[in-house]
Amino acid sequence: MTYAKSITDTILDVRDLHTHFFTDTGIVKAVNGVSFELRRGERMAIVGESGSGKSAMAMSLIRLLAHPGRVVEGEVWLEGQNLGSMTEKDLNGIRGSAVGTIFQDPMSSLDPVMRVSDQMIPPIARHLRLKPKEAREMAVGWLDKVGIPDAARRIDAYPFEMSGGMRQRVMIAMALSCNPRLIIADEPTTALDVTIQAQIVELLRRLTSETGTAMLFITHDLGLVSRFARTVAVMYAGRIVEIGPTASVFRKPRHPYTQSLLRTIPRISGESRERLLQIPGFPPDMKRPVVGCAFKDRCPAAHARCLEETPEAQRRGPDHAAACFLPNGLDDAPVAVAAVAHRTADEERPWRSLPRQDVLEINNLTRHFVGQSLLPWVKPPTVRAVNGVSLRVRRGETLGIVGESGCGKSTIARMLLGLDEPTSGEIFIQGTGQMVFQDPSSSFNPKMKVADIIEEPLVVQKRGTREERAGKVRSLILQVGLDPSYLDRFPNQLSGGQRQRVAVARALALNPSVVVADEPTSALDVSVRAQIVNLLCDLKEELGVSFVFISHDLSTVRYVSDWIAVMYLGEVVEYGPAEQVFQTPAHPYTRALLDAVPVLDPEAEAEREIRVISGELPSPMNIPPGCAFASRCPKVTPLCRDEKPALVQRRPQRQEACHHAG
Amino acid sequence: MLAFVLKKFAQLFVTTLGVVTLVFFTLRLIPGDAASAMAGDSLSGEALERLREQMGLTQPLMTQYATYLKSLLVLDFGQTITTGLSVYDLMKSALPITLLIALSTIVITVVAAIPLGTLAAFMAHKGRKGLDNLITGTAMVLDLMPSFWTGLVFLLFFSLTLRWFPASGDVDMSDPFSVLHRLALPVLVLAVTQIATMARITRTAVLEVLGEDYIRTARSLGWSELRVLFRHALKNAALPIVTVIGLSFGSLLNGTVIVEFIFNIPGIGSLLVNGINSRDYQMVQNLIIFYALIFVTINFATDIIYRKLDPRVTF
Repeated sequence: MTYAKSITDTILDVRDLHTHFFTDTGIVKAVNGVSFELRRGERMAIVGESGSGKSAMAMSLIRLLAHPGRVVEGEVWLEGQNLGSMTEKDLNGIRGSAVGTIFQDPMSSLDPVMRVSDQMIPPIARHLRLKPKEAREMAVGWLDKVGIPDAARRIDAYPFEMSGGMRQRVMIAMALSCNPRLIIADEPTTALDVTIQAQIVELLRRLTSETGTAMLFITHDLGLVSRFARTVAVMYAGRIVEIGPTASVFRKPRHPYTQSLLRTIPRISGESRERLLQIPGFPPDMKRPVVGCAFKDRCPAAHARCLEETPEAQRRGPDHAAACFLPNGLDDAPVAVAAVAHRTADEERPWRSLPRQDVLEINNLTRHFVGQSLLPWVKPPTVRAVNGVSLRVRRGETLGIVGESGCGKSTIARMLLGLDEPTSGEIFIQGTGQMVFQDPSSSFNPKMKVADIIEEPLVVQKRGTREERAGKVRSLILQVGLDPSYLDRFPNQLSGGQRQRVAVARALALNPSVVVADEPTSALDVSVRAQIVNLLCDLKEELGVSFVFISHDLSTVRYVSDWIAVMYLGEVVEYGPAEQVFQTPAHPYTRALLDAVPVLDPEAEAEREIRVISGELPSPMNIPPGCAFASRCPKVTPLCRDEKPALVQRRPQRQEACHHAG
Repeated sequence: MLAFVLKKFAQLFVTTLGVVTLVFFTLRLIPGDAASAMAGDSLSGEALERLREQMGLTQPLMTQYATYLKSLLVLDFGQTITTGLSVYDLMKSALPITLLIALSTIVITVVAAIPLGTLAAFMAHKGRKGLDNLITGTAMVLDLMPSFWTGLVFLLFFSLTLRWFPASGDVDMSDPFSVLHRLALPVLVLAVTQIATMARITRTAVLEVLGEDYIRTARSLGWSELRVLFRHALKNAALPIVTVIGLSFGSLLNGTVIVEFIFNIPGIGSLLVNGINSRDYQMVQNLIIFYALIFVTINFATDIIYRKLDPRVTF
């Protein structure tokens, strides 16, 4: 591949872009000199953690920044026009026409009080100068292309009448409808379930290659990058630190940040149980001027030069460049970077001498939410969230529960802790259960100090004297790897990862036998996620605490769990040892879930035959009589529609609910 | 939609019946009765008894209630106790004046407050604080002034000092100029407070909506800021604004009582004040029902408009 730079081939040319946010407390320099080119029909991914400036950069391209953000320097050339010097009026002719945009959250990105037709048709009529009737036909055509069933009728629906996946399809149809040359997609699948995510990614890939539209794909999910993008740019602290063809960057990353990032993620394909690499420290505060390399404080290979000079992008191969003084990044580090430490599983722990008995047992648990009926003789609508689930967890083991939203996994978590009453069934817990929630910031009282937060369960249960409790709090915070000086802080003075550590410390305060963690890492960035995952694994080893780990992130679940339960519509459809379930999935749904998750290897991704399951989760208000998965299953037979398969054991330790398994 | 309207109408009917019933029985709970109130100290026991019989007060309570409901249905509101005039006729001549005051206030408020509030929100969203602070600050100050106070100040300034408007006199509904001349000042007094309140509510509502994701989506489709502001932002902000318009009708009716008193205007408010002062049960009872009916109707209209504006509303 030659480094083609002909004008005709380059569709987008960004030169030295700087975007600042002029806030009341100071200037946040979100984007600090980003330059790149995008060729016609090319799919480029911009990856980075939150705060890396990737979204601000993308929005700067078409000046969609909200106050107080402003592009302060730089040029954006789109097909020979400088967007930076255009008037708002001229730019409005480009937005929605030459450049289409897709946003993250489909639930909030469509106007809730306007019909889809009223949002979609006028822009088409305006940009393509069509009569309303022609524009409508075109809109229906696009909705049909993005897979909206019965598009001619559905176009007059309101957004609230559609599911998240359907709304995102509408967004895609809107973005593509005026034949754009460039699509900017800002985390377009982050808010969606894995199977829907796979459908949307597949759709975007197919449509952009059909229409030859170039695409800028902003994401924090490296797996998606490997599945989707031809080139990738890694952003850190408002700059691109590495850019190049996806295959080359993933095979041989050159920048220490990219290298670390790729090692923090548990591989869905990997069977190794090595400790995940953690990136120490935090990204720099963008309100302060950055001297030298922005990554120097977290980089094991940093040396004297990094402290003073900012490295410029240097060529590392065909189209591949990295902003680091060391040509091979960490691999050139004078000191060998701390080798990934193996878990100390063999070490003797006092709890290991205890019998390996069940600490948690769930028998035939159900939870039905009965709605209100308008008329007394009409049967009220009933949401059958959990339908007869039986599970057990042994001491010191982790049970992972996976499934898409609406499968009942969080309802089970709530019932385990007594936050919700089961409709029927039994729960036995030996000892106590504690909970770690998804969003660490909203599960704390903001007016309480960290010490009080951790102490709270002890106070409620009236354990010990004040001094004993203070000592316990100190030992807890050390146990989760935070300095005791944090005890005097308030939750808003902590980062997301630190807050989640505090949440874990609080959950451990009463020496629980089981900790239920409901999506504990999904609000966190990848590097921080690795820290929390490591912490949970360490605690399990040290204390013999059992975990119920609920997540939709399959690679993390695989990494932390000993046993896996796959749930679909309130039922367990497959159960078994984590490794076995992931390596030889028996239920078609498990297989579909695993197929939907991209692997971190662009070449393997390219060769992989991805069978994206079609359709969406049926409503839990109206569960089909036969197998719940029948409506989406590739192997469906008439038997499945009539008869519900039971969860049966066919092989040792493995259970699955499918007529066609085994 | 039709089912929704019917359901709301059924609710309206039930509420009205409740109000009417409540008024009837509350008045019967008061010590003494209409006859003794009417007679005062002038009649002897026997004459009072005859009066009671005449007024139907000796019949069983439920029969009285039925008669009362039937007379309401045929708009027979009876006669005032003090002057013996037909309550229906009195209300008929007073109602147009009060309604004119209230409706013109609402119209002026909506026409002035919504653009002002939207402008302030837009400026605040863009970070241009000067104009926003001016509008919001002025509105805050005006909002805090009670209408009996602004009423007196306006009367003093416009009528007594500048002599632009008369301070009292008849309202001849057939002469538009006289109506305008006489009602402009009370309407202005009421509108000032209403505009201030509603401009502030509009600003808050629009400013919140401007931060929503779908506003960015609309901008990304190439719509101008003005179109986004009025087609998307204002439409979504309309819900809280409509709620406030509905609610402000209540304070507006309060206001009409006060301004009608201050400016000596023969509207419903004046009837009420006079009725209370002269302990005219019949008058007050009918006016309470009338006010309640207006409230219930406004709520009904708000619900329908709500549903029209936001298809997600299902209650």
